[in-house]
Amino acid sequence: MKGSYIGELEELVLLTVGILYPDAYGVAVMDELERQADRRLNISAIHAVLTRLEEKGMLKSSMSEPTEERGGRRKRIFTLTAAGKRAIEEAQALRAQMFNQIPKVAFQFKIVG
Amino acid sequence: MKSAGRKPTPSPPAWANRFLEWYCNPELLDEIQGDVLELYYREAAVSKRKADWKFIWNVIRFCRWKNIRKRKQQKYFNSTGMLQNIFKVAVRNFFRQPGHSLLNIAGLAVSFTAAVIIGLWIMHETSFDTFHHKPDQIFKVMSHVNANGTLETYGSARANINLEAIPEITEKAVVITGSRWPNELCFRPEDKPHECIYLFGIFSEKTFFSMFSFPVLKGDKNPLASPGNIAISESMAYKLYGNEDPLGKTIKIDDHFPVTIASIFQDVPVNSSLQFDFVLPTEVFARMRGLPPDFFSRDFLPVYFKTNTSITPGALTEKLNEPSILTDDLKKDKVSYSAFPFIKSRLHGEFVNGISSGGRIQYVNLFRIVAIMVVAMAVINFVNLSTARAANRSKEIGIRKVTGAQRLSIVMQFMGESFMIVAVALVLSVISAQLLLPYFSLLTNEPLSIGLLNISVISWIWVFLVLVTIAAGLYPAVIMSAFQPAQVLKGTITTRHSGAQQLRKVLLVVQVAVSLGIVIFTGVLFQQLSFIQKKNLGLDSENILHIEPTHKLLLQYDAFKNELLAHPQIKQVTATNADPVNLAIQTTGVSWPGMPDGMNAPFKLLGGNFEMAETFGLTLLEGRMFGSQPKDTLRIEVVVSESAVKRMNLEEPIGAPIRIGNPECTIIGVIKDFHTANLKQEQLPVILYPHDLLQCSRLYVKYAPGTTAEAFALIESVYKKYEPAFTMKYHFIDEAFDKMYKTERTASIMLVFFTLLSLVITTIGVVGLVTYNVLKRRKEISIKRVLGATSFQILRMLSTEFILLIAVAALAGLPLAWYSTTQWLSGYAYRIQMPWWIFGVALAGITLITLTMIAIQGFKTIRTSPAETLRNE
Repeated sequence: MKGSYIGELEELVLLTVGILYPDAYGVAVMDELERQADRRLNISAIHAVLTRLEEKGMLKSSMSEPTEERGGRRKRIFTLTAAGKRAIEEAQALRAQMFNQIPKVAFQFKIVG
Repeated sequence: MKSAGRKPTPSPPAWANRFLEWYCNPELLDEIQGDVLELYYREAAVSKRKADWKFIWNVIRFCRWKNIRKRKQQKYFNSTGMLQNIFKVAVRNFFRQPGHSLLNIAGLAVSFTAAVIIGLWIMHETSFDTFHHKPDQIFKVMSHVNANGTLETYGSARANINLEAIPEITEKAVVITGSRWPNELCFRPEDKPHECIYLFGIFSEKTFFSMFSFPVLKGDKNPLASPGNIAISESMAYKLYGNEDPLGKTIKIDDHFPVTIASIFQDVPVNSSLQFDFVLPTEVFARMRGLPPDFFSRDFLPVYFKTNTSITPGALTEKLNEPSILTDDLKKDKVSYSAFPFIKSRLHGEFVNGISSGGRIQYVNLFRIVAIMVVAMAVINFVNLSTARAANRSKEIGIRKVTGAQRLSIVMQFMGESFMIVAVALVLSVISAQLLLPYFSLLTNEPLSIGLLNISVISWIWVFLVLVTIAAGLYPAVIMSAFQPAQVLKGTITTRHSGAQQLRKVLLVVQVAVSLGIVIFTGVLFQQLSFIQKKNLGLDSENILHIEPTHKLLLQYDAFKNELLAHPQIKQVTATNADPVNLAIQTTGVSWPGMPDGMNAPFKLLGGNFEMAETFGLTLLEGRMFGSQPKDTLRIEVVVSESAVKRMNLEEPIGAPIRIGNPECTIIGVIKDFHTANLKQEQLPVILYPHDLLQCSRLYVKYAPGTTAEAFALIESVYKKYEPAFTMKYHFIDEAFDKMYKTERTASIMLVFFTLLSLVITTIGVVGLVTYNVLKRRKEISIKRVLGATSFQILRMLSTEFILLIAVAALAGLPLAWYSTTQWLSGYAYRIQMPWWIFGVALAGITLITLTMIAIQGFKTIRTSPAETLRNE
């Protein structure tokens, strides 16, 4: 599982963690994903992705102070690491590079023949 | 951490939350629970019910491998040292209370021994006939005759039955078995032609060796193809010819017909229901009996067949009753056929009304239950004794826990101790089983086919070891490992486990109930057996010697008889064609004047010479017995029993003409009924008829009571004079009678052992619980004594609880005992009334044993000075 390759969901989660800085934790990431990308995911799935990304070294985490709205439980706050940032950038660059190679003609949607 | 808000917030289902807290890795619990709760509160603001469901769903979704609490990997840096310590502690504990430990081991070992022997016996019984190739495709044809509404079943069919009509049947063989001539023959060793070795054999057809798996070692693979051949077993070859090659040698059957040894087959295994030393072709059988060549088309003989596919007996039975096989003449005689799996012949050989009703299997099942019960009782004792001792080990457990032992390792420690004790007991029991097996074989009268070194036996013993260890060790281990170190070390906790105490009471109740059941069953069985023994059979079976005559002896019968009767010890001599105690000849072919149409009543037939009624002490009620010379009449004279008269509904029986098959007969006398089979069966009406002396297979000599030895010597010397070439074959007639109840007798002896065993084990259990109770209430007893209670009052106080337990056990055990004994007794047509006194005696006996144990233990405490017990307060 570990390596520099990241999947599409992982990429989205990495981006979300970046956006939410410095308040990215499980429920917040889930909400943000739903709002921005219209992806409804179970909270346990979000946790699984976050843990995986942390294992890959793209995220780091620390525990917050307990808050009342969570029944006194603490949050695990995730932040991007340098490797995480590089991973999004690489993904971004790769897409841009590949997108630019598509010949213009392919975008001319005409009824052929 | 529980700083929950003061505002009235809805709360999620508590159990789900607890479940989450239980499974979740503590390091992850905070964030996961936090997230789930946050979502819950958000949702709950809208709908509490929906929020609850979502909460549960989330909790379940979070339950994945990554989040689950994992046991910390124990790192035993000195694990061998720890193991040594545990072992040492176990050994020390064993020797600290040697009496207790030995009681424990002895109880287990004795019951395991019984279980091992019974296990071997059951494996032996169930292994019968399984060594054949595809044993489930071999069947026997049974025929059922409708005799007045009930079906009488016979293990034979018309010998030329047309089984070719059924395509699934590939092979058919007639196998003629028996325990007397012509199946038992005299063979003479080559070097000692005047000696006579009696060996048993069978007669069969050429398909025999391909159908059954009795491997032919040397010679012709298909010896029965030629009517002049004989196949003999290895051991028979050795007996007759030593180490010489017997192939091609000639044997004279009955010193008369020569046959050639064509092949030698491997000795028949013990667990074969067909037992024989030689096989002869059926043609020889016909020659020996002087039967016409077409006897196959008339006679009913045991017929076996093999199919090429697995087909149910039901489907085969249907095909056997099609008109191409069940011919019209058979149908007219109300005969029907059925296919009976050969593999069942050992254990399911009994038929009631044409349906297989069990047989030996009932005893196999009985002992299976008894063995399980005995082991269960021993295990219960082990649990009881171990938990009673738990207090002694509490400090050790406390120290172990304080120094970092986890509960699991303590459980494992105690399981290990149980394992050691169970293993020692098992080793002891295997050794004693090995030593006892020869005696057991004497009891069952046949060697077991399976020894202790058999692979499946060894694996069963392992399974048994593991199961018993778990059953015996788990509960004490769980109880002991649950001690709280702080309490134990402070000394505040004793063995106040009310749950454990309740359980031990329940276990004792089970033990007492089981013992009651076994004791009562054994008692009833014995009553029934002694009833059988004492029952007046209507026939004299004492002081009669049964001799198997040779043809030559029968030719000189009169001289032989007169010479014997010249001696005062000899009272009577007679000859018959069948065993009157266990009369096998039965017919439905009797007709009489005024017989309703289509009636098919069964009668037993006994043929013999004119003295037979007198020899067997049959009582004449009317008319006369046969004379020494038949009267001048064309009709055969017959004597019938009173129930035969009743069956035929004859008002004037004397002189009534009846027919047995074709021959016409006249009734000349009526005798009192007598039993012609074992008491499981209803008495059938009997017809006696004079039989050609030369066709008789049995001579009976009645001698004066108390002269057995003299009479026997006399008979033997006279026999030798008339038949010098043969050793006399003889049986005492009451032996034949006892033989019919061999299974019951064996079962009863085994049951006595089990009764004693269960009583011993229950006593151990009672002692264990009493000791524990008395120990626990030592201070109470002392205080009561100080306050002036008498010994009797104290004993009464101690007994009340046990009396209650016994009462509960009786409530459970007595109905069960009643049910099982009624079931067993119902298998006998002639049986005792339910002997209720046995129930009372058993109950009283067990109560007495318990009270004695209480008295012994109680007096021990009463005798010690109260000051001693109370001193430390």
